[in-house]
Amino acid sequence: MTRIGVYVCHCGLNIAGVVDVEKVAEYAKTLKDVVVARHYTYMCSEPGQSMIQDDIKAKKLDRIVIATCSPRMHEETFRRAVAEAGLNPYLTEIVNLREHVSWAHTHEPEKATEKAKALVRMGVARVRLLEPLEKRKVGVEKSVLVVGGGIAGIQTSLDLANAGFRVYLVEKAPSIGGRMAQLDKTFPTLDCSACILTPKMVDVAKHCNITLLTNAEVADVKGFVGNYEVSILIKPRYVDAKKCVGCELCTEVCPVKVPDRFNENMSEKRAIYIYSAHSVPKIAIINPTYCLRLKLNKDVCGKCLAACEAKAIDFKQQPETMQVKVGGIVLAVGSEVFDASRMAELGYGRFKNVISSIEFERISDASGPTGGKIVSPKDGKPPRTIVFIQCVGSRDKRFHEYCCRVGCMVTLKQAILAREKIHEPVRIYVCYIDLRAFGKGYDEFYRRARDMDIDFIAGVPSEIHNAPNGSLYFDVYDKGTNKLLEIRPDLVVLGTGLVPNSDLAKISALFHASRSADGFLLEAHPKLRPLESAMGGVFLAGACQGPKDIPDTVAQASGAAAKAIDLLSSGEIELEPLKAVVDKDSCSGCRICETVCPFVAIQMKPEIVKGQERFRAEVIEAMCQGCGLCSSACPTGAIKIQQYSNKQVLTQVQAALEEACAEGGK
Amino acid sequence: MSLTDLMTMAKPNLETRDKILSKLKGRELVNCFQCLKCTSGCTALKLLELKPHEIMKLVNLGFVDELPSSDIIWTCVTCLKCVQRCPQKASPYHLIIALRNLAVEKEAKVPETYMKIVSSILETGLAEPPQKIVTKKMEAVDRERLKLPKIRPPKESFQTCFMKAMEEK
Repeated sequence: MTRIGVYVCHCGLNIAGVVDVEKVAEYAKTLKDVVVARHYTYMCSEPGQSMIQDDIKAKKLDRIVIATCSPRMHEETFRRAVAEAGLNPYLTEIVNLREHVSWAHTHEPEKATEKAKALVRMGVARVRLLEPLEKRKVGVEKSVLVVGGGIAGIQTSLDLANAGFRVYLVEKAPSIGGRMAQLDKTFPTLDCSACILTPKMVDVAKHCNITLLTNAEVADVKGFVGNYEVSILIKPRYVDAKKCVGCELCTEVCPVKVPDRFNENMSEKRAIYIYSAHSVPKIAIINPTYCLRLKLNKDVCGKCLAACEAKAIDFKQQPETMQVKVGGIVLAVGSEVFDASRMAELGYGRFKNVISSIEFERISDASGPTGGKIVSPKDGKPPRTIVFIQCVGSRDKRFHEYCCRVGCMVTLKQAILAREKIHEPVRIYVCYIDLRAFGKGYDEFYRRARDMDIDFIAGVPSEIHNAPNGSLYFDVYDKGTNKLLEIRPDLVVLGTGLVPNSDLAKISALFHASRSADGFLLEAHPKLRPLESAMGGVFLAGACQGPKDIPDTVAQASGAAAKAIDLLSSGEIELEPLKAVVDKDSCSGCRICETVCPFVAIQMKPEIVKGQERFRAEVIEAMCQGCGLCSSACPTGAIKIQQYSNKQVLTQVQAALEEACAEGGK
Repeated sequence: MSLTDLMTMAKPNLETRDKILSKLKGRELVNCFQCLKCTSGCTALKLLELKPHEIMKLVNLGFVDELPSSDIIWTCVTCLKCVQRCPQKASPYHLIIALRNLAVEKEAKVPETYMKIVSSILETGLAEPPQKIVTKKMEAVDRERLKLPKIRPPKESFQTCFMKAMEEK
């Protein structure tokens, strides 16, 4: 004899403000097999949970229905509470009265109450058919793959390595450091970016627990949470990393000039080069698309061969693939800067003295193309009027609707740097829409900029013109003075926003990490699980999850490391039992399930039946996420998801259609 | 209403505002965050003092009683720059056209210069007299040299009307 307990939660006024919870509880009492039905302010609170536990013991309940918020919120909480009281936790059913009823039907309390009753009726019908399930434990690899060697990847790797985990740090570029290495100073303290970053970069290279793989990419990922098998493609440098001492003799003799990516193509490097002044590892690399010998595939040039005293240059180097086993993965692949030439009216790409904020950063940096002298790229002279234009490519429905979250502070910093570094008299204007200085010490920084005679114009120009003599001019309407102003700047710096990495589509497919509407990687929950992707064991750090400044990136990176430690430290993890199971006898081996499974969790196993070889589907339990695609695609009904069998679901549908029961009949 | 414009003692008129919004099929075209890009680039601002962002804000706040009867909505030269450049995909242009339609509905007085331009277009089909064009060989040629039939120029060109309107201001 089934004995069901029904618990209706008020969720403060979230549910009770719309749904008549008392009526719903009274109604539940009239349903078949319901022994007890109660309502309470906060079912998830300690007294709420013990109310359920006491009833399980006193009234010998064997099935529990909890009508409360979304199961994504508190299903785990209630399962734990039920398990503590000695009942199998999978004999609980959550009915969603908040997202599905009270929040959706705020203005129709009576109809909402009726819907709540119907949902409870469906829950009660279903709970009877639930089966007790057990969680399974599997061992995990105590190592982590970190993808991306920017400040986020560096911080995550160091935290994990210090906690004793083996870390494989994979970086696409020849050196770690990422965007932060390109910056001159950091806001709001004006710390030198290199001074605070380079020690960390060196720590990464020296740490005995970190395997640093630069000029490398993840080629393939197999496996499941706790047991991923990753193959990493290490591209050839054409320089023996063990022999090269980073003396740069080769770069002096190489005759081929190549635009310098690190300096945003504002200066030139050679075909054999060292990535940046602070490069870690400091090993030369040859660009095969420019190097004469590699490009022509002939025995030509070879000047670097002669110059290298360490005999490190090896034109025969081939790509290598490395296989590693890891328990968790942290994605820290960062973001890119908006390409301002897409916003044609501002003239970026057409006018030489219109530059992006990252280009200004390189001009301002001591290791940059001008040696730290702020000059206009057009004439090489220090500008007398600089204008910063905000929100280029962000807060713009034509390009990216989100706020880039760093643009305002970057501009304040750059305006202050310009004021400090240019000794000639210079006028500095900032054309902004809203100035957002929200972080710790940020508004004080805004104040500091205003103290330094930097003028703020509330309004942005519609277009930038080029006068016949080559000088720039534009009109801008200022909200403060209600005047149309004309400005003739020598240098325009566009506050370009951060945009999703162009590799992100590939990365999201590789790691099964989904993306949000803005194109960045999607976190499992925007408030409560911001550091994880929906894929088990794949964590997110830094600007790949959304635009972020350095303090937030470092905080998230440490958080992601802590999450990975939390997952792997015990050496084993529990797997949810809500998986697909195959009834071998009805499986026809049609392979439809294999093609629809997004998690590659189904494999076809050969089997000898009456002397004939036949293929049958088998679920790799650890990889199955219980999404149910296979179950609905299977033409013979051979695959079912635990707890979601046809019978369990159809009983619920039947209960929904029992109009008569809505009146309260048994 | 709890909001008052202390300069004119005007109160928001939400009924008229809703009427305007219904002409625009919703709020989307007046969803403005006041970046002033439209006004910074407005063709009619320098000569005729049209400030599209101000009209957007007035409609958003509900101060709409003055707008249909004001001359300012007739100054827009419909260059559509504001529509193209707006970062929020709002459209001062569509709002201005909606206001003009409302003005006609209310039988508000349309400025004379504007009516002149319209009647001239009705009469001749042209806003401007035929212009010369420059050929590939950099020669300026008129209709006659191109052996095109003669057409009657409008009584007063759009440009002259426009300048007159400016003088009247």
